[in-house]
Amino acid sequence: MNEKKRNIHKEISEKLLEEPLRVNLGKFSERYPATRAAALENAGDVEALREAIKKMKADTVDRIDEVAARFEAEATKRGVKVFRARNGDEVKSYIFELCKQHDVKRIIKSKSMASEEIDLSPYLRQNGLHVCESDMGEWIIDLAGHRPSHMVIPAIHLSRFQVAELFSKEMGRELSPDIPLMIQSAREYLRQEFLNADMGITGANFGIAENGAIGLVTNEGNARFATTLPRIHVVVMGYEKLLPQMTDAGLILKLLPRGATGQIMTSYTTFIGGPSPMIVRRGDKWVEETREMHIILLDNNRLKAAKDEKFKEVFQCVRCGSCLNVCPVYTIVGGHVYGGHTYAGGIGAILTAMTSGMADFEKFHELCIGCRRCVEVCPGKINIPGLIEELRVRAVKEHGLPFVTRQLFENVMANRKVFHALLRAASITMKPFASGKDKTLIRHLPLFFSGLAKDRSLPTIAEKPLRDRVKAVIKKPAHTTGRAAFFSGCTMDFVLPETGEAIITVLEDLGYEVVFPIEQSCCGKPVGATGDLETARKIALLNVQAFDAEPADVIVSGCPTCVETLESYGELLKDNPDWRDKAAVFSGKVKEFSSFVAAEYEKKGRLLKTTGGPAVTYHDSCHLKRVLGVSEAPRKLLEAAGCELREMKDSDKCCGMSGVFGLKYVELSMKILAQKMHNVQDTGAEIVACACSGCMVQLQGGIDKQLPGIRMKHIADILAERLKEKERPENRENPKRTLMTGASTTKDESAA
Amino acid sequence: MKKTNEDWEAKLHVHKRHLPAGGFGARLFPEFEKRAKAAAAEVLRVKTSVEAVEFVLTIARQAGARKVVSVESPLLKQAGLKSAFASAGIDFYDSQEEIATYAPTADIGISGVEFGIAESGSVCQDAYAIESRLVSTLPPTHIVFLDSNLIVPGLSEAFAILSKAFDHGYVTFITGPSRTADIEVVLTIGVHGPVRLVIIAIDECPKEGESAQ
Repeated sequence: MNEKKRNIHKEISEKLLEEPLRVNLGKFSERYPATRAAALENAGDVEALREAIKKMKADTVDRIDEVAARFEAEATKRGVKVFRARNGDEVKSYIFELCKQHDVKRIIKSKSMASEEIDLSPYLRQNGLHVCESDMGEWIIDLAGHRPSHMVIPAIHLSRFQVAELFSKEMGRELSPDIPLMIQSAREYLRQEFLNADMGITGANFGIAENGAIGLVTNEGNARFATTLPRIHVVVMGYEKLLPQMTDAGLILKLLPRGATGQIMTSYTTFIGGPSPMIVRRGDKWVEETREMHIILLDNNRLKAAKDEKFKEVFQCVRCGSCLNVCPVYTIVGGHVYGGHTYAGGIGAILTAMTSGMADFEKFHELCIGCRRCVEVCPGKINIPGLIEELRVRAVKEHGLPFVTRQLFENVMANRKVFHALLRAASITMKPFASGKDKTLIRHLPLFFSGLAKDRSLPTIAEKPLRDRVKAVIKKPAHTTGRAAFFSGCTMDFVLPETGEAIITVLEDLGYEVVFPIEQSCCGKPVGATGDLETARKIALLNVQAFDAEPADVIVSGCPTCVETLESYGELLKDNPDWRDKAAVFSGKVKEFSSFVAAEYEKKGRLLKTTGGPAVTYHDSCHLKRVLGVSEAPRKLLEAAGCELREMKDSDKCCGMSGVFGLKYVELSMKILAQKMHNVQDTGAEIVACACSGCMVQLQGGIDKQLPGIRMKHIADILAERLKEKERPENRENPKRTLMTGASTTKDESAA
Repeated sequence: MKKTNEDWEAKLHVHKRHLPAGGFGARLFPEFEKRAKAAAAEVLRVKTSVEAVEFVLTIARQAGARKVVSVESPLLKQAGLKSAFASAGIDFYDSQEEIATYAPTADIGISGVEFGIAESGSVCQDAYAIESRLVSTLPPTHIVFLDSNLIVPGLSEAFAILSKAFDHGYVTFITGPSRTADIEVVLTIGVHGPVRLVIIAIDECPKEGESAQ
């Protein structure tokens, strides 16, 4: 079934040990957000620019055939030979024929990802041609026989010492690992390659339909050399680079260099329209002639993608790499573990699916943790995690799920009683699934079944889940403002029942009568995320039915991922004639705890900053901030509870759990968690607060092992504690004395 | 010498009418200078082309230059560049033949640019002629002459002009010297293209047919 099985875990472990990769990538990603922000400072309205780019690119893909025809016509009119290649083989034979016709022996290349995608250079070399890469990073990895590990810094995984070795070998003289010296030597060495080349091959950042011009964005100047010195210029570009007008390129350039490297403009941004003059030696004279120019438009499934309602979004990619620069996984492991392909990271998974097929996609799409940081920075506003989810759904439709997973989903997850019985059994045996073949099983269960890791403790399954406690906890308030149904989610139910109780306390304090429909089950996210929508629908139906039996005004949950999933039930069940209306009503009532409570506090004039509480740092859950758009409400609630808010660095960077990912890629998850722990520690706060039960499990696991003395709390826990403090008789008389006044001693302990 | 557009200034002035007062020209120069310097370009602002020639000679002497290649342009001709180099005893080449022969070993290349962009500190070079590309790629130092009155505010204005001025040809927006960060993410200046980009901005550019003196 899977004959060329890659051991991606082994590859990740190896990458984590690679010192140069860790140091260089760390250095780059560490300073990237600030560099990007500085470059954007004079860019104007960035959101409006992103929206404009998205719209322009989306309009272009909708009429790609027309735009391509115009580009071809205009370029041809100006003397360019345009060739439309269906695949890599056609590109290769076209260029090889060209070389034969024009007696080309030596080729100089400037960066072209499309040519890497089709392995052009190895082919030409096999056929006896001399091919030299001229982009410094590309040249280095070519000498090393590696693949690029970064879209704009291809050799980021190598150290100066390794580069010095490669250069010394190539140039036949000992070079010291001094970076400016090495660059100077490479400059001199490659200069001869430029001067002696017969053909220059470049990529293109833009192809302009209105005048048939191409645009090249470089920093080193090599593209200008490759289009100035050799007598033939060949462009290899994908259809996604086509734009209707020159001004569209200007629009993209507002964000492309800023996002790629934090530059406002790169050193050289060149537009070439039609063949340009060159100068050649004829006998003892220099003669000006016209260079031959060829443009190869590479399809390789791009045009098929362009016609796909969902997939066409990938045409909005401008190849800046911004998404990779902020990706919590990519910035740790680099590009190589993504399959050794040209395109890495989340966007790489999608581009690979397009150009190499689903089999390659299925090997590494799980490395997208769905944190959505990339969505915030993408100039083309591509919903990268959304497209990956869509691709997963298609992969499951095409190939199905692995047998064990399918059995698990169908027999356990879709049956609440069996599922909950399993969870209860886990609370007794404690480590029920930690080894052997059961590991496969664990990965697709809700996240608290996570494996024990050196840097993260094993979450404990509560002896008594929330569902067995609610009867005792729920009080009927004297006067009610409404009825709130509580959807706890598995984590709060079975691992964090006290937090579930806190939610009930806070809702009751607001005057709500709380109900807990006992038939509620997992929201279905772990199932839906793998692409198995069929089982996800079954689970959704169970929940809609459970809540239909106990009608309420609102449905509240303290887990943002559950909220997101519950909100999708209306859409998910839209083809179920009996339940679609109720599912839509259900989804419409769903409220995320922190934003709901903040709004209620606001109404009651209680959302006011108070003081006297402990120092707290707040972790933004990916799904809460970037899917639900909630980041202010929890902070305001913390301040209303008297906490001193201390912001941590990268508060909205993923904690490393993200469902399946945190379990399947434990080692990687631990690296991401370690960064988070470091940032928490730097604040000197004594409590880490968040509004997501999933993050809580991961963070608690990290704190247990790495930051003893710091406590982890859900916003609900803090609010409920505050309410209990107020309840105390001595505080009733003296409202200025607020909760957790003993905090300072804890602080001293944690500082020690 | 071949050009992408024969009259960039006319295109610029057509565009200027669409901009608010102060949204074009020398008033934007300080911002242009700041951004160009941030991109590691050297910027010198002078009043006349005579001063510009003095600066070029100073740079050439300081750099110990022995060979200079330059495009032929009315501005450079009127500035008396050729005779200045001759009297300084530095080889100066400006014909196509000479540029083709000497650009690979020249110390300095000199060319003109059409306008500057304040937002990014870029200069727009009409590089259609092979001469202008040879002098601006091969020598380690590239000196450009810019009319300080021809500064546009941003990229969108630059591309609005380009879309009118460019039918076919070769145009480059140059922003600072050649650079790379490909080894250990350490910024290194001067990879393939020039190590130095010197922008000499002239306030009172002589127009065609006028004398520099």
